[in-house]
This record gives sequence, C-alpha cells and structure tokens, in this order.
Amino acid sequence: MPEAAALELDGIEVRYGSVSAVRDLTLSVGKGEIVGLIGPNGAGKSTTLHAIMGLLPAHRGEIRLHGQSLRRRSAEAIARAGIALVPEGRRIFGDFTVEENLRLGLAARRQAYIGDALGPAFELFPILAEFRRRQAGALSGGQQQQLAIGRALVARPDILLLDEPSLGLAPLAVDGIFQAFTEIREVGTTILLVEQRAQRTVALANRTHVLVGGELQMTLGPADAEDTDKIIAAYLAS
Amino acid sequence: MSTIASVDLQTLGDAFGQGAIYALMAVGIGLVFGVLRLVNFAYGQLIMAGAYTLAYTSGWPVAASIVSCFAVVVTLSLAMDRLVFRPLRGSSPAVMLVTTFAVSFFLQALALIIDLRDGTLGQIASSVAPLNQAVSVGGVDVRKVTFVAVGVAVGALVALALVLARTTIGLHTRAAASDFRTARLLGVRANRVIAFAVVVSGLLAGAVAVLLTVQNPFVQPDFALEDTIIVLVGVVVGGIDRLWTATLGGFAIGFVSVLVNAALPTDKTVFLPSVVYALVIVVLLLRPAGLFAWGRRAAVERV
Amino acid sequence: MSRRLDTLTELLGPAVIVILVGALATTASASNEVYFLNALVFVAIVVAIYVFVGISGVLSFGQISFVAVGAFAAGVMTVPVDSKKGVLTSVFPLLRDHSVGNVPSLLLAAGLGGVFAFVVGLPLMRLSGLAAGIATFAVLEITHNVLREWTKIGPGATTLALVPETTGALQATLGALVAIVVAFLYQRSRRGRLLRASREDPAVARSVGVNIHLERLLAFTLSGALAGFAGALYVHLLGSITTEQVYLELTFLTLAMLVVGGLTSLWGAVIGALGVSGLDSFLSRAEQSHVHVVLTFTLWQGTRLVFLAAIMALVLILRPSGLTGGRELRLRWSLRRGRG
Repeated sequence: MPEAAALELDGIEVRYGSVSAVRDLTLSVGKGEIVGLIGPNGAGKSTTLHAIMGLLPAHRGEIRLHGQSLRRRSAEAIARAGIALVPEGRRIFGDFTVEENLRLGLAARRQAYIGDALGPAFELFPILAEFRRRQAGALSGGQQQQLAIGRALVARPDILLLDEPSLGLAPLAVDGIFQAFTEIREVGTTILLVEQRAQRTVALANRTHVLVGGELQMTLGPADAEDTDKIIAAYLAS
Repeated sequence: MSTIASVDLQTLGDAFGQGAIYALMAVGIGLVFGVLRLVNFAYGQLIMAGAYTLAYTSGWPVAASIVSCFAVVVTLSLAMDRLVFRPLRGSSPAVMLVTTFAVSFFLQALALIIDLRDGTLGQIASSVAPLNQAVSVGGVDVRKVTFVAVGVAVGALVALALVLARTTIGLHTRAAASDFRTARLLGVRANRVIAFAVVVSGLLAGAVAVLLTVQNPFVQPDFALEDTIIVLVGVVVGGIDRLWTATLGGFAIGFVSVLVNAALPTDKTVFLPSVVYALVIVVLLLRPAGLFAWGRRAAVERV
Repeated sequence: MSRRLDTLTELLGPAVIVILVGALATTASASNEVYFLNALVFVAIVVAIYVFVGISGVLSFGQISFVAVGAFAAGVMTVPVDSKKGVLTSVFPLLRDHSVGNVPSLLLAAGLGGVFAFVVGLPLMRLSGLAAGIATFAVLEITHNVLREWTKIGPGATTLALVPETTGALQATLGALVAIVVAFLYQRSRRGRLLRASREDPAVARSVGVNIHLERLLAFTLSGALAGFAGALYVHLLGSITTEQVYLELTFLTLAMLVVGGLTSLWGAVIGALGVSGLDSFLSRAEQSHVHVVLTFTLWQGTRLVFLAAIMALVLILRPSGLTGGRELRLRWSLRRGRG
C-alpha cells in the first residue's frame, strides 16, 4: 500500500430518501493514478462523484483527501481543496466566452500563478486558445468537452473527477479526450474516471472498478481490456 | 416654440427621469433575483429607510446626509440577506416572495412607530430639495432632478456593466446567476457573490432614495411602495431572467406610464392604471418569457 | 378502511374546527364576536384562494379581485332601494332601482365571481410562474381601478354604507363550511386530482393527456366563484366597505395566511386563516388595553403590525412548508407511518 492515497472512499453509503444508491463502497486512488469506475446506468457512478464533491451527503462512511476527511464540507470548499469535477453534460456557460469559462475555473485555484493562468488548458487543448474570444455555446460538442476539462485543469487540482466525458461525442473526439487523460496523468494529476465506454476505460486506467446496483462488483486491470467476456460478466453480475 | 411641443418635450423629460429611476430599481431587484432566485418585495422598504435617513439628517451637510443614507440602506440590505434570505435559500418561490411581503410589512410598521414618536405622520427630507428646482433648457422647464436621475442611472448602469464584464467578482456573479450549482462546483464562493449582489442592490436603493426624496420630500412608511410594485411588474414584463431585460422592463414601465398619462384625456387619467396593466397583460400573453427576452441564441450576457 | 378514515378527517377536521369557532362566537361578548366572525370569513376567502393556488401550484395575486367584485355586487344590491337614491346617485338605473335579499346576494356574488374569473382565466391560464403571478396582479389592479373610479357600477372611491349586516355567527359558519365542502369535493374529484398531479409534474400530466389549460381554468373559475361568495360574506359582516379594503393588503394578508398554514392542503388553508386572524385579534386586543391617550394608541398600532409581520416571517423561515407542513389532517398518522 502507498502511504496516504490521494483520495479514499471508506465504506460510504449514499441515499436518496430511503433508497440507498451506493452501499459500502470502498476504493482508493493513489497519486498520479487513473482509476476507472464503470457499470450500467443507475449503478451509482455519478452518485459516487457527487458524494465526493459534497453535492450529496454520505450517509455512512468517510471520504478522505490526502488522509483528511471531507465530511460536511460544501462543494465550493471541496473544489478549493483541490478536487475538480467535470460534470456530466459538461455544464459550460454557453453565453460566456471560452476565456470567461476558463477564468471561472480559477475560482478554485489555490496558489498564485505567474504568466498565463490559463496555460494548462491551452497547452493541452490549443484549439481553446484559438477560440478564446468565441461564445462557448458555439463550440462543437468535442470542443465543449475540452473546454470543460480545461476549465477544471486551470485550478491545478490534485484530483480530477470526470463524469462520462465521452458521452455524446463523435468517435474522433473520444480519441482526443482519452489521449488527453494520458497527458493529464503525465503531469501528476490524479484521475477518477466514470465512463460507459468500458473497454477503453479498462485499457487506460491503472484499475477499473465495476459498480453494479450501488455495490462494488469487481476490479479489473489493464490486462483485462481484451477480455470482453469478463467485462460483460461483471456488468451482468447483479 | 409652440406650447404643445414644449409640453411634449417636458413630458418626454419626465418620462426619461421616471424611467431612469425605475431602471435603477429594476437592476437592484434583478441582481438579487439573479443569484438568489428571490423576488424581493421588501426592496421598496430599503428605499424607504434611506428616505427616512435623509429626512432625519436634514440638518446635516448634504454630503453627510447622503452618505448616511447609503450606509443605512446597505446595512439594512445586508441584514435582510443574513436574517431572511439566507435561511430561505432553496425554499419555493412562493414562500420566498410571501416572506418578503412579511418583511416589507414589518419594516413599514417599524417605520410607523419611529415616525410617530413626534406625534405626526411623515417627515420632510429637505436637504436634497434644491435639486427639484426647474431649469430652463431652450424654453422648456425641466427639473434638475431629471438630469440628475438620468445621469445617475446611466453612470450607475455603465459602471455596473463594466464591473460585471471585466472583474472576477463580476464574472462569478454572472456565472452564479446563470447556473449556481455549477459555479459552486468550480469553487465560486456563494456567500461572496450573494454579498456582492446584495451590497450593489443596496447602493442602488440608496441612490433611488435620494432621487425619489428630491421629487417628493414627504416621507411616510409607504414611501416607494407603489413604485416598487410597478417596477416588479416591469421587471417581469421585461424578462426577469436576465439583468438587462429586467432593467429595460423597469425603464419601459416608468417611461410608458408617464407618456400614457400625458396622452389620456384629463378626465380619463384616473383610468391610467387600467390602461397600463391591460398593456402588461397583453405583453405577458404575447411574450411570457419577457418583452425583451429574444431567443436563447441571441448573443447576450446572462445575469 | 384507513383510507376512508383519512377522507373523513380531511373534511371533518376543517369542518369541526370552523364549527367550534362559530360556537365560540355565539358565547363571546358583542365586542369580541366580530373577531371570530372575521376569522370565519377569512377562512372562506383563504379556502377560495387555496382552490386555485394550492391545488394548481400557480401563483395568483388576483383572487382578491373576485372577492372585491362579490363584495361590491352583494353590497350594492342589498342596500335598500330607498337608501340607494341618496348614497348611490350615479349608478345605472338598473342597479339603483332594484335590491335583493341576503341569500340571492350571496348567490349573485358567487355567480359574478365565477363568470369574471372564467373570462379572465380564459387567456391568462396559459401562463405560469412569475408571468402568471404578475398577470393576475394586473387583474387586481384593473379591478380595483375600475371599481374605484367608475361610479356607474358602485360607490367609486367613497364608502359603500348601509349594507345589511347579515353575516352573524350562523352565516359566517355556514359560509366557511360551504367553502370547505366545495374545496374538499373538488380536490377529491377526478379533475381536482388531475390538476394536483399536473402541479407535481406538468410534463407527465400533459403526456398522459391532461389538458392543463382547461383544468386550471376550471379551478380558477371555481376559486373565483368561492371568492365572490366570500366577498359577499365579508361585506355583510362589515356593513360598509371601500375599494381599499379589498385590495393589496387583503391580497398579501390572505396569501400569507395560506402560506403560513401550508400552501398545499385544505387543512393548511383553514389553520392559516384561523391562526393568523387569531393572532391579529389577540394583538389588537392587547393594543387596545393599552390605550391611554391618542399617542400611545397609535404607537401600539404600529407595534401590533410589527409583531404580526415578524411572527409570519419567522414561521416561514423556520417552517417553509407552513404550520401544517402542507399536509391534510390525518388521525392515526403515526400508525400509518409505522406501517410504511
């Protein structure tokens, strides 16, 4: 085991009213790792990310960032503590310019910056620099996803949470953002990736957990990526 | 110059003056609505508190009197947010609106008690009265306050537009107004943004208090109540979802009221409210999202 | 079995409490009786508002228009013909030369309120949210303006006096009961349930074929009829009335009663009306017991409003779903919960 994992979920349970959407989920993400979280619709993947982000309270269990509990912290506080969420549906501000969207990401930035604060986004996605004065709503789907990721990165988070980033994107755009995840890992940013594209996620991630019906079903390594049967079996395990 | 033309110009001046004051109120109401999704019916009582402050400091130098007016209004605005708006965050719109009714009545009743200490109802705010003098512009009598109102409104709106467009707090405020949840996810501090909106809204109420007391120095507990109701109507008619459509709505209802009043035959002016509100209904039926709310594709800033 | 009991308490709870208040009114001193009667008339008004606002979920500031129309219709038509010649000089001859009795005036008020609401609602019920709120508010402003300025249909800005004071304990109690029973029957009917379902989820309701515009219009009309009826009760309680008494303050006060009680239930409407009127009466009694000279009296007048407004704001801040939580009265409620 590494010392303190960057992000730890320790037996968490998340409820909507009397229904528990996630039960007894324990997982940890080490610094610089990509950890995947896959599973069928309604398995509790997004719920898990929302709980980490403080948008939903964990009914039971503990979520820790660098060993420190995040209990009772608001979403804005957690963002400023170094976790950035790229939400499902991207949630960019369509009426704002690309640059304004990126500057919003700086709200969670902890250290002062020298030079171009928006650098991390522009280096990874040069198209954003080119279109910085454009309305964000006028970008293509893939570019909007790049903007959403770039907006999270300018805060220089320790941990990046991604909620189905490939949803609704053209195949080429999907290639682009999966390539970007590798590059993001290379600069030392930790990633927890929720995805529907199971095979690609398993191939990319250091570990991929399969969540079914709110419970951890199985953990897969990159070697399992070609083992389609095993992935399908995990999905159907409920 | 013919009499009719000069009357028309005078009316036009009054219409601009009224529109300008209502536009300022609309911004104050629209800003708070943007970040809190709360229609603050008690906005008029902020103005009323400012007007009483001007009345009770009539003996002071004008500048000191105006500064204390702003101080009282901004403090009250912040207190309202802390004591009422914050506990109500996330409540249904109806509950929030009705609670601000209660706050409005509370403040009016409080003002009544304070006002009646001297045994008479109403106080005179005389310090700013000189602004009410008429000046002659090309043979047309226009009250100084009209220029001041238009000037203050234009200045305040330009300044606010710059702050919203150019500064970080402005960007955060616009983001919060557009999608508060996502803004918070990005680390935007909710309390800071709300405090900004509440303070600016208070400053605008202070400015309106000065302008309205110039027009009507007799301050009573229901001061600015009717104006607030009209502006609320104008804000919704214009389109409350965006700050600039709300502002235009406020301006338009002030402007149009004065013009309709002038256009109606003298014996029919008593029916002015009916005409204006019938127009309101027609506009709402034709454009329920707001008179000035063009399609979502329009490249406009959303606040 | 338990469902039938629920249905029963849903109606009997409000009915019994109204009858109790009516019974108390008959035992109270003459000077106190008016407070009880006032509370009962407010029950009728708030229940009328509830029928539209509470069940449809659409905000309306316009229901007091129908109260006003009902009050002035019933008032103008019951002032004795001999007296009318003196006080209502400029009204249409038809109104000037005829008068009707108490009960016909109540029915007339209900009918006029319903017709007026239907005509107004026909275009307006397509709106929802703040636009609906402001459009209905515009109706209130226009109604008030016309009633106040058009002296051919009423007293205009002057006081309408000499209206027979027929709303005693019996009429106030029966009137409130009528409003409650009508509201109950409506919310239990198929149409009422459809409208309530559309409140929860308009898209789903529309997708299963509910004509929301029509359902809202029906509720609005029914609410208007009840409001007109309540207005008639009101004018027969007061004996004299001005347009200012059925305008902004009454709108805000009755809406506040509904929200304080709990917007989404009949029980909430009744409790809110009785609770706030009770509090108001208590405070005004307290204020009158401190009358020494004119000045202290007026001073205390302000204090009463301060308390009333502060308490209403506190209830809403601490309990946004109202005193009843927006639920109907349920006996054996804990038992039901225990069973899940």
